[in-house]
Amino acid sequence: MLPPLPAGIARIIAVIIAVSLPGYTNSGGEIGVMTGVAADTRQIAEENAKIAAEVQEMLKQPLKQMLKDNRADIDHIMGSSVDFQKRDFMLCGSADRPGICCYVDGLVDTVIVESILKALIVFGGELHHEPDKLPSAEDIRARLMINASVKPCLKLGEGITAVMSGDTLVLIEGFDEGILVSTKGWKDRGVEEPASENNVRGPRDGFSESIRTNTAHVRRRIRDPQLRIDGMVIGTRSKTDINIAYIADLVKIGLVDEVKQRLGRIKIDAILESGYVEEMIEDAPFSPFNTIQSTERPDKVASALLEGRVAIFIDNTPVVLVVPSFFWQFIQAPDDYYHRYWVGTFFRFVRYCAFMISLVLPSIYVMLVSFHHEMIPTSLALTIASGREVVPFPVLLEALLMEFAFELMREAGLRMPKPIGQAVSIVGSLIIGQAAVQAGLVSPFMVIVVAITGISSFAIPSYSSSLALRIFRFPLLIASGLFGLLGFATVFFALLLHALSIRSFGESYLAPASPFSRTAQRDMVLRLPMWMMDYRPEFAQDSVRSGEHLMPEPDKGNGNGKGNGKDGSQ
Amino acid sequence: MRRLAVTFVLFSLMVISTTSCTGVRQINQLAIVAAVGLDLGEKPGTIRLSAQIIRPADARGQTGAPSGGTGQPIYSVSAEGKTIFEAIRNLGRFTSRRVYWAHNFLIVMHEDYARKGINDMVDFFTRNHELRMSTWVAVTPNRPDEVIATITGLEVVPGEAVDRLFSNNHIVGQAPASNMMNLEETHLNATTQSLLARLQLVPRGISNKKPEEHGSIKQVELAGSAAFHDDKMVGWLTTKETRGVLFFLERLDNGIEVVSCPEGDEKISLEFHNARLKVEPFYRQSKPQFNITLKTDADIVESGCNSTLTGKKHEITQKLEQQLKQRVESAVDKAKQYHTDILKLGEIFHNKYPQEWRTLGPRWDTIFSELEPTIQVKASIKSTVVKVMGTKVK
Repeated sequence: MLPPLPAGIARIIAVIIAVSLPGYTNSGGEIGVMTGVAADTRQIAEENAKIAAEVQEMLKQPLKQMLKDNRADIDHIMGSSVDFQKRDFMLCGSADRPGICCYVDGLVDTVIVESILKALIVFGGELHHEPDKLPSAEDIRARLMINASVKPCLKLGEGITAVMSGDTLVLIEGFDEGILVSTKGWKDRGVEEPASENNVRGPRDGFSESIRTNTAHVRRRIRDPQLRIDGMVIGTRSKTDINIAYIADLVKIGLVDEVKQRLGRIKIDAILESGYVEEMIEDAPFSPFNTIQSTERPDKVASALLEGRVAIFIDNTPVVLVVPSFFWQFIQAPDDYYHRYWVGTFFRFVRYCAFMISLVLPSIYVMLVSFHHEMIPTSLALTIASGREVVPFPVLLEALLMEFAFELMREAGLRMPKPIGQAVSIVGSLIIGQAAVQAGLVSPFMVIVVAITGISSFAIPSYSSSLALRIFRFPLLIASGLFGLLGFATVFFALLLHALSIRSFGESYLAPASPFSRTAQRDMVLRLPMWMMDYRPEFAQDSVRSGEHLMPEPDKGNGNGKGNGKDGSQ
Repeated sequence: MRRLAVTFVLFSLMVISTTSCTGVRQINQLAIVAAVGLDLGEKPGTIRLSAQIIRPADARGQTGAPSGGTGQPIYSVSAEGKTIFEAIRNLGRFTSRRVYWAHNFLIVMHEDYARKGINDMVDFFTRNHELRMSTWVAVTPNRPDEVIATITGLEVVPGEAVDRLFSNNHIVGQAPASNMMNLEETHLNATTQSLLARLQLVPRGISNKKPEEHGSIKQVELAGSAAFHDDKMVGWLTTKETRGVLFFLERLDNGIEVVSCPEGDEKISLEFHNARLKVEPFYRQSKPQFNITLKTDADIVESGCNSTLTGKKHEITQKLEQQLKQRVESAVDKAKQYHTDILKLGEIFHNKYPQEWRTLGPRWDTIFSELEPTIQVKASIKSTVVKVMGTKVK
């Protein structure tokens, strides 16, 4: 299924077609045919719209007392979908109390549906013999049903929506109330290691497509009753479940309301992935920077919640959104915290370098080689010049070509069916790495620059923000190829100013570097030891995270630890 | 508003595209100059400028790509003109690439050129933004184009070889490390005079193919210096005199002195280190006076003496002191002889007696040549290196 084209783009395409094909609208002979077809489709569409309006009206009505009427309504609403099942039964085996069980095949666990039927038919007969002893739906729920989650249902629409999400609706003759039993049970992928965020040390479980499993991952990590998960449904047709998770006494004040308000604004037919939601609630819709963190890792979500942030779970996607988020987070990895702090700090430093390299290295190379030769040490200048001796292109073009080739290889490797993936890397590395240099198309130095840049961009843990950096690389590259240091500095500063101006749910995007926060520096460039990181980010309600004097140290000899020597020893 | 913004963006895109990368010069389209030679031209009043241009393809081995190289890492050309700049422009007649000066290592002038005055050269090489102030400057009695084109064998690019010679100069300590910055400093100074290094060709290289023809290959040697008065060269300083000057100019703190044994004609090599030269100016009876003291430590590094050195320390020390004193004296004498204050004594006096300097300054050249500085050398031998002498020693 393709996402629908945005209206603006569709309009532009229509205009282009209209302009480029002037004969299309004016050719007299075809007008009659065209309008004839158009009239037909318009008529059908009008009819369909009328039926849809009727159905909408019907969904708002309460359930009726007569099973026959309800059945007719349901048939009208559902049409002839083959996966929609209606199972007839007799309550307590008695012919004057017929009923139906509605569910969607494939969404329900048939064992549970069977247990419902068993309760209604067999236990009902054994325990009460007479259906009249169960005068209301409430009685049936309370005295017959053995299922874990059973709810009353008064409106038809409510029942249909529940059935669509995997519940079973039980309707019985004589009751103007239905019974909704939770029977969700479909095949899902199971818990697997996250595909895009790997680590060496740390939990291996990743989110999957089922929202309930996903929230359970987080709940298992935080057994705090203050962890709240609020529900919401977005999408007029998809009716996608959205869950908003936060810790009530930590979360930044007002943040949950803001998130709910922004989510509430969304009027769309379907949400197929969290990207839909992300684009509609982010603060900087025109910016290439992503101001919302997306992750597949439950441990990342849990730590974000513990910092007073909000996670947005969306059904049918393994990607969870976290707000507010900061730029530097995208360079930090969970491993930083799971390994010892020396290791964490070192690799974080490596990643900051990777970030800078992936952003500016090709630009700096192009700038030096085509404008500022005096800035290159002489022997390096000679080496570069000798490598470029036979290259027919200017450096800028060479860099753009190589960058493009690299992006092409990356994209091809991603889209290829897995068994062919290796072929891409072999062909790519041979052609780009070896043959292009031997043929004198590119200089060996450029290959090294592009390769280092590529590797660096893969070292950034957040894939989505490494994409943003990749995009920024090109304006920088072109500006430094056209204007040298001047162009590079201008674009870089424009970039910096832009990043400084962005906010993410009320927090500055570049915090805590700017605005500078001294306490937050413990976990920015450095990753200080766990026993020193005793504060949460400033926006959290309760900022103290851990107790005092957590540093492990040897016992001072008096058995009571330090500080107690004065009064404890006597 | 939107229309305005779109117009602005389109306009700026057009403006950007009209620049068509102004100033862009690919690094492989440059003729990178490694050394420049300056000489008098054949016609009177002209300058001959020779440049050593690096051929990157041959100077650096290239991976894979075919390089139709001649195997020569440099391409040396010369051009003549009425001024340096005209000569450089004339270079462009036969160099296919733009001549690029920012990586220049060395400027070498012929003696005759230097004796005619270097005002022009100092001005040009400091005025041009592409040229570096760290370029070495030297004078040669040989043909400068020959000096810059001589391949040393160790370095691929000859200019680089001379660059290394200058950089490692402090080990030998026989020529000043004169670069453009020092030259301009002394050139602009009213009293201090310039001292430039001396480069010459010596037949020292031994051919691998014909080792029996000793010295068939010429090598560039960095030894001695040239003293200037104002912008004109006035004479040479030998390596020994230059070493004396280096105590003043570059705080030379180590070197080798060879003295004879206490008994006999054999030699002892002494390595002096931590040498500190102190110049103290005085003003007595409206005459400037200078006390020059040199303190140094020394080690015995080689002894050919036939007797043990036990108890001879004092004697050897005295010989070393005498020899070092002679070095300093010879430098002072030579400077006086040329009437050029290459030792920066005027500057030291000026700093201590600014008032008196006002009257003395204008006459400094004459005053300098009449100076009688007292020179004291204090050496102490710190280590003789414990070494057991054989029984053959008497």
